[in-house]
Parts: sequence; structure tokens; C-alpha cells
Amino acid sequence: MSTTIKRNHYVALRYGIATASVATAFTFTLLLQPLFPYPFLFLFLVAVMISAWFSGTVAGLFAVLVSTVLVDYFFVPPAHSFRISTTAEGYFAAFIACALVASWVSSLKKKSEDALKDALDRLEIRVSERTAELMKTQADLAHLSQVLSMGELTASIAHEINQPLTAVVTHGHACVEWLSANPPNLEKTRQTINRIIEDGSRAGAILGRVRSLFKKEAPEKSWVDIGDVIHEMTLFLREEAIRRRVSIRTDIVPGLPRVKADRVQLQQVVLNLMTNAMDALSDASENSRKLMVAARADRAAVYVRVEDSGVGIGADFKDKIFNPFFTTKPHGVGLGLAISRSIIDAHEGRIWADSCPGGGTTFQFTLPLQSSET
Amino acid sequence: MIYIVDDDPSVREALDNLLESVGLQAQLFVSTEEFSRAHRVDAPSCLILDVRLPGMNGLEYQETVRKSGVRMPIIFITAHGDVPMTSRAMKAGAIEFLMKPFQKDELLAAIHYALERDKVYRLEEAEISALRSRFEQLTSREQEVMGLVTTGLINKEIGAQLGLSEVTVKIHRGRVMQKMGAGSLADLVRMSDRLHRRL
Repeated sequence: MSTTIKRNHYVALRYGIATASVATAFTFTLLLQPLFPYPFLFLFLVAVMISAWFSGTVAGLFAVLVSTVLVDYFFVPPAHSFRISTTAEGYFAAFIACALVASWVSSLKKKSEDALKDALDRLEIRVSERTAELMKTQADLAHLSQVLSMGELTASIAHEINQPLTAVVTHGHACVEWLSANPPNLEKTRQTINRIIEDGSRAGAILGRVRSLFKKEAPEKSWVDIGDVIHEMTLFLREEAIRRRVSIRTDIVPGLPRVKADRVQLQQVVLNLMTNAMDALSDASENSRKLMVAARADRAAVYVRVEDSGVGIGADFKDKIFNPFFTTKPHGVGLGLAISRSIIDAHEGRIWADSCPGGGTTFQFTLPLQSSET
Repeated sequence: MIYIVDDDPSVREALDNLLESVGLQAQLFVSTEEFSRAHRVDAPSCLILDVRLPGMNGLEYQETVRKSGVRMPIIFITAHGDVPMTSRAMKAGAIEFLMKPFQKDELLAAIHYALERDKVYRLEEAEISALRSRFEQLTSREQEVMGLVTTGLINKEIGAQLGLSEVTVKIHRGRVMQKMGAGSLADLVRMSDRLHRRL
């Protein structure tokens, strides 16, 4: 109902503009005519152009029609009649032709102008959409790089831990001295041991703080295709892999069910396992640096496997590698696997390692499938 | 006396406890500023200095102390030392650069070495200040004569330079030797040498 009114209103406006411009042209031509020895018709052309520009082709033609009638009746000799003297025939025809051309050119130009404006608008919308997308990607990457560049952070953590550790060791030495005195100073020994307990607890508290630092407060869970995550991280590490001459292969069973998980956290886990694997390969000969990431699922869970052809780890390390600050790398931090485990734990999955010295290492984690994704 | 500057209370107290257990006395400070304001005892001592400190850090403090001409043996302790840091500290005369956590034997060895070193410094300082006070008791004429004698001039030449008779010079010279407590000309030259090196 309201659209019909609006539409009628719009049509009226269009013809209103055409009528008003022609009326204006007519008034001024009447006023100016005494100054010229011939019919002064140029203002009508302007009126036609304005009508076609603002109100479209049809209104333009309408203006041409009205102008022609007015010109014929008032200005083409003999005036005040619809008859046309033979001498004025050519002049009148030229006017009509000019008016038609003006109307046509004007509406054409207007149309192309509108199309251009429309295209610009659409472009702007797309740019803002893309910008939003890029900003999200950037935020994700910032989180990743935070995890990757933990070097500085760890230096300060190491310092923090080292202080109570130094105190514990120093008190320990003092303790031995107090006990080996003659007679042993038991009171001092007791005091010293209490200090050791305090400092040890302080170190524990620092580690607790670190752990909570790497735990995101509220995981943002959404339906995640683990295959996508693996592909993304493979792309992310491609340059690095080329630089280190590691060949990465993926084996992802198509149509894996999606899991309810925090996408960025899963990216961290996959990235950690893959960078670990690449580190493990740095001692391998160049043509045997192979890294494989595989994913499959059964009814209960999705399984992800990251396999390297590196040196492998001994059985005695296997229990410790997930502990915070345990590392076998010369400049390692010992947090990557600990963080990975806390993430997988938070997703109610399992993570473990299989390795035999000389035979490479395989890390696997599972993510349980929720009852339904419809 | 062992001075300990570390901003971490647990490390400070642990060091105090260890030193006490082996019969050494320590004084604890939170910062180099606090330490420089403190009254220090006149006995062989050394400074155990953390590198990372609030305010002026350990290495900067070492530089300040060195520039002020005070000879204070310093043992650095740090949780995150590196080669450039160590070499800078050692070049500037540090006794030892220990990484936390350090072992008792390393620390005690460094402390004993530092105390020995400080004892020698202090002995030298004492000798020189004794020499200086003896030198200051000489009359200005005697100081002049001593200066010329130790450059190797004979009495006759000294007399000519100062416008004195050879006999007068000889008397002044005898007094100088006596007041300075020098047994021989060689002794006196050595004394003058030490005085000039420190002045």
C-alpha cells in the first residue's frame, strides 16, 4: 500500500520536474523573445536536458513533447497558431531533432553516471567486508605470533623462577653447614628448611601464574573442521619448511566430522606440534626431513597425528615432555607441549607421544565428537 | 665484612644464612643507592652485587665506584648473564661473575679471594697514608731537599740550586732520612715514588 503511494509520488515528482523546467523555459523565452528577431528556443533545450537528467528518458521525452507544442503555438511563425509557415519548417524540425538528441544524450549520460556510482558503492561495501576479514585474520595471527615469540617472555619467567631457585640452593648449602657444625645447629637448620619450603612454594606459585597466563579465560568454541586448521597451519609454515628443507605431507580423510572447539587454540596445538617436528628434523640429513600431518575419525573422536622422521626421543623422556619447562632443545622453552596439553585437556581430548630412538616421533591428539552436529 | 646488594629478599636472606653458617658476617642492601648511603666498617670487605637491580644496575654501579677511585672487590651474581656482560664486568676488575643458582664453593672461593685482595689494598693504603703524614711533617725546605735528592742530585748541586751551603744541605738531608724513617737513599727514592704515584 505504502509502496504504491511512494511510487505514485515518485512519478508525480518526475513529471513535476519536467513540467516546471519547461514552464520556466517558456516564461523566460516569452520575456526574452522581444529582444531577438527569430524564435529564441535554446532555453527549451536546457529544460529538456534537465528533465532527462533528473527524471529519466520518459520525462525527457515528455518535456520534448510539451516544448514542441509550446514552441509551435507561441514562437514558430505564424505565432499563436499551430500552423507552421513554410520558411519555418526547417527551423522547427531542427529544434525537434536537437531536443530529442539533448534528451537522449542527457538521460544516457545520467544512466552511466548512476551505474558508476552504484559500482563505487558496491566496491566500498566489498572493501569494508574484506577489511573486517583481514582484521580478524590479523588478530588470529597476532595470537599465534604471541605464542611463537615467547622467547622474551620466557627470559623473564626464567629470571623469576631462578630467584627462588637460587635461594633454595643457597639455603641448602647453608643447611649442610649448620648440620656439620659441632654440635649441629638444629635451630638454624630448622629455620633454613622452613625458608626452603617458602621459596620452593614461591617458585610453584610463579609457575601457576605462568600456566594461567597461557590459558585463555573463555575458550570461544565453534564448529571447527580440523582439516581446515591443518591446511591453514601447513600454509602458515610453508615458507619456514622450505627454508629448513622439510617436506610436509598431509593425509586428511575427506569429510571429517567437525568438532566443537576453540579454533585459535587448535591452531596453536597444531602449530606447536609441527614446529616441534621441524625442530626435531634439524639434525636429520637434508633429503630425509619428512613431516606428516594426518587426520581421521571414528565414531567417538577425531584423531590428529603429527609424525616426523627425526632422531626420536628416549622412553625416559616420554613422560616428561609435556611438563612445563621441560625441553631437549638448546634454546627451547619447554612450554609448547605443556600449553598444547592444557588446551587438549580443556577440550576433553587426549594427547600423547610415541617415539623410538632413531625412528622418529609421532604426536597424536584426539578431540571427542559431541553427540550431534545437525 | 660482606656487603650484599640484591633486590630479591629470598636471595638476600639465603646468602646471609649461608655466610652466617660458614662464620662470615654480612650486611644486606636492596639497592646500590642504599648501599652507597650506608656506613661501611674499616675492615677487609667485599661486595656481592646483583646485575639486575632497580635504579642503577650492578654494572653501572661498578663503573661509578671505579671512577671515584675506591678499590672495592666486587663479585657479581646474575640470573641471566651473557658473555658481553661477563667480559665487561671482568674487564672493569670484578673478582668473579657467578650465575644464579651458584654453588657454595664457587661463591666462598670468590669471597676469600676478594677479602685477601682487599686486605692487600688496605695494607697499601695504610702504608701510603702513613708515608704521607710523615712527608707532611717535613718543613717546606726539607720537602724541597727530598725532592731534589730523590732525582739523583748530589749535595753540592742541591746547594747550588737552593742557594745553600753543602753542609746545610747535608743537615736537611739527614733530617729528611730520619723523619721519613728511610734506612738508605734507595729507601727514600722508593717512598717518594709511592707518594707521587698516589698523589
